[in-house]
Amino acid sequence: MAEIEFLHVSKSYGDTPAVRDLNLKVGEGEFVVLVGPSGCGKTTALRMVAGLEEITDGEIRIGDRVVNELAPRDRDIAMVFQNYALYPHKTVYENLAFGLRMRKVPKDEQRRRVEEIARKLGLADMLNRRPSQLSGGQRQRVAMGRAIVREPKAFLMDEPLSNLDAKLRVQMRAEIARIQKALEVTTLYVTHDQVEAMTMGDRVAVMRDGILQQVDTPQRLYDLPANLFVASFVGSPPMNLFEANVEGDGAQLVFGDTRLDLGARSLRDYNGRRVVVGIRPEEVREASGWDGAHVRGRVLLVEALGAEQLVHIEIAATPLERADLVDAAAQPPGPSLGVEELERSVTLLGRFDRHLLLTPGEAVEVAIDPRLLHFFDLETGAALPTSDVPAVAGVAG
Amino acid sequence: MSSVTQIAPTPVAPAVTRPRSRKRLRKAGWNVLGLIVLAVMVFPVYWMVSTAFKPGHDILSYTPQWIPTHPVLSNFTDAIHQQFFWNAVKNSLIVTTVVVVLSLVLAFLAALALAKFSFYGRKPFIVVILGVQMVPLAALIIPLYILMSRVHQVDKLSGVIVMYLTFVLPFAVWTLRGFLLGVPKELEESAMVDGATRFGAFVRILLPLLGPGLVATSIFAFIQAWNEFIIAYVFLHTPEKQTLMVWLASFTTLRGTDWGPLMAGATLCSLPVIVFFVLVQRKIAFGLTAGAVKG
Repeated sequence: MAEIEFLHVSKSYGDTPAVRDLNLKVGEGEFVVLVGPSGCGKTTALRMVAGLEEITDGEIRIGDRVVNELAPRDRDIAMVFQNYALYPHKTVYENLAFGLRMRKVPKDEQRRRVEEIARKLGLADMLNRRPSQLSGGQRQRVAMGRAIVREPKAFLMDEPLSNLDAKLRVQMRAEIARIQKALEVTTLYVTHDQVEAMTMGDRVAVMRDGILQQVDTPQRLYDLPANLFVASFVGSPPMNLFEANVEGDGAQLVFGDTRLDLGARSLRDYNGRRVVVGIRPEEVREASGWDGAHVRGRVLLVEALGAEQLVHIEIAATPLERADLVDAAAQPPGPSLGVEELERSVTLLGRFDRHLLLTPGEAVEVAIDPRLLHFFDLETGAALPTSDVPAVAGVAG
Repeated sequence: MSSVTQIAPTPVAPAVTRPRSRKRLRKAGWNVLGLIVLAVMVFPVYWMVSTAFKPGHDILSYTPQWIPTHPVLSNFTDAIHQQFFWNAVKNSLIVTTVVVVLSLVLAFLAALALAKFSFYGRKPFIVVILGVQMVPLAALIIPLYILMSRVHQVDKLSGVIVMYLTFVLPFAVWTLRGFLLGVPKELEESAMVDGATRFGAFVRILLPLLGPGLVATSIFAFIQAWNEFIIAYVFLHTPEKQTLMVWLASFTTLRGTDWGPLMAGATLCSLPVIVFFVLVQRKIAFGLTAGAVKG
């Protein structure tokens, strides 16, 4: 076991930067997930740790060794590939034993360790089969087993679950997290799936365009996103974002015909300017019985999810123009057709109790608690400090 | 309820059979066509083998003898006792073995470089490899003859071997490159992370997976080197240095052609190719990379 540390690590392909000045430390036994949209440099970062990609600038340490110039085989790490990369001409046993054989572990020790791992992963009956005779889930477990059996200093995993079907993925997600906890091996895990990141990682590092955006525990990432990108990337369905004016000496937020009192959370420095306002879907509440500002809107669409329902509500507000600051996949839906009375409208996504009866076209009032709002700079996308950090942030899970 | 289920299929049945019978007819048509093509392909081979067993008067009779009624082995003994037969066998074996081995080794390394490394001029090189295969060999024989005579390689087996490599290698490199590109790079990377050196990953992971490619290439090289006639005929003058194909031509003289021994010799010459193919063909069919990665 060892720490993995990136120190000012950069990587470029010709003139194209893939990773820029990455600083990140994965503690001993810690499970850190690198997450971001495709092309954000997360896989490149992982491959640099494995030694499969040269480092353009900076330093990577595993344990107390700088590994920049070390061959992959000398780094004592194990890697699980997205497509499993099982050796097709070798049996499951030979696949599992390959790393041990390369490291000249005695034959009977090899056998003992392989059989133990096979038993733990439910592969004991399949040791003589070839990868082509296994199901997707079994191949995935062989790939995991091949990493575990080596007892390496660290695990590197490159989207190991993305080739599994949805049900198996949820199952293996828990399985990998459990194995990692049991073995306490330092793990760096790459995924583009924020749900995977949130559920598996001790800490999650969000990357975009080769730049690390924020590293924190999943809960803090959700509650206190550092910028618009993280706010829009983390959470499903994504955070509602729209523009609003700050007025009244930073104490009031104005959008559409709504005037929202910010209470203790003053945006004094932004008085008279436009900011981006964010609110999580579960914090959009049906108005009755709630204090705080009520916002009038109209139901566009109701999506029943069983335990709850997702309701698209159109309100009068200015949509966020700066698409470059948010995750491309989390773009809010556009305004509905034929809504003339709302000059500029934003679709607010709300997560409501299933017992609430709502029909499309119906006028509704929703309540927004100013304490649960997120504010971002319109130019930089950075989260704005308010004089009062929300004390109820813990509720937001 | 049961009556409903019984009645239901009846009206549907004739509608199903009609397209099925048409389908069967079309299939039969294709099968017949296939058999005709097969007959056209197989007949010359059959005629060669059957002629080899016929006595002289049967071969030359005006009414063709489809089946040798009085099979004889004298044609074979005549062929074997023909001058320089064993020399030719030895020469052909030397040329073919060296060409197969050299082309496999050189083509594997070249294909590796083309498939797995990026270097300056890689793309033009690949185009050239494809391009040279389009030049007709006959057009090259005279310039090549002059070239080889300047380096004193005419009438030498080594010269013929080099000549054969010039047209076996481009094909072999091209084929093996295709096979190499089919092996996901993660397999090597995984082996390297697991503790193998780059060379170790080649030998332990890539090489076994290339089996079908290597077999296909070696069969091609074997057939080319064994069956080649023009180059051997032009480059090898001395009877002791001739290969089997050139030796076969010695049955045709100014006085006519000695058909029986010629066909017996031709039959003998085809045997090694068939034996080689039977020995290695099982490897081709087996797609080894199946299951390496999620398909």
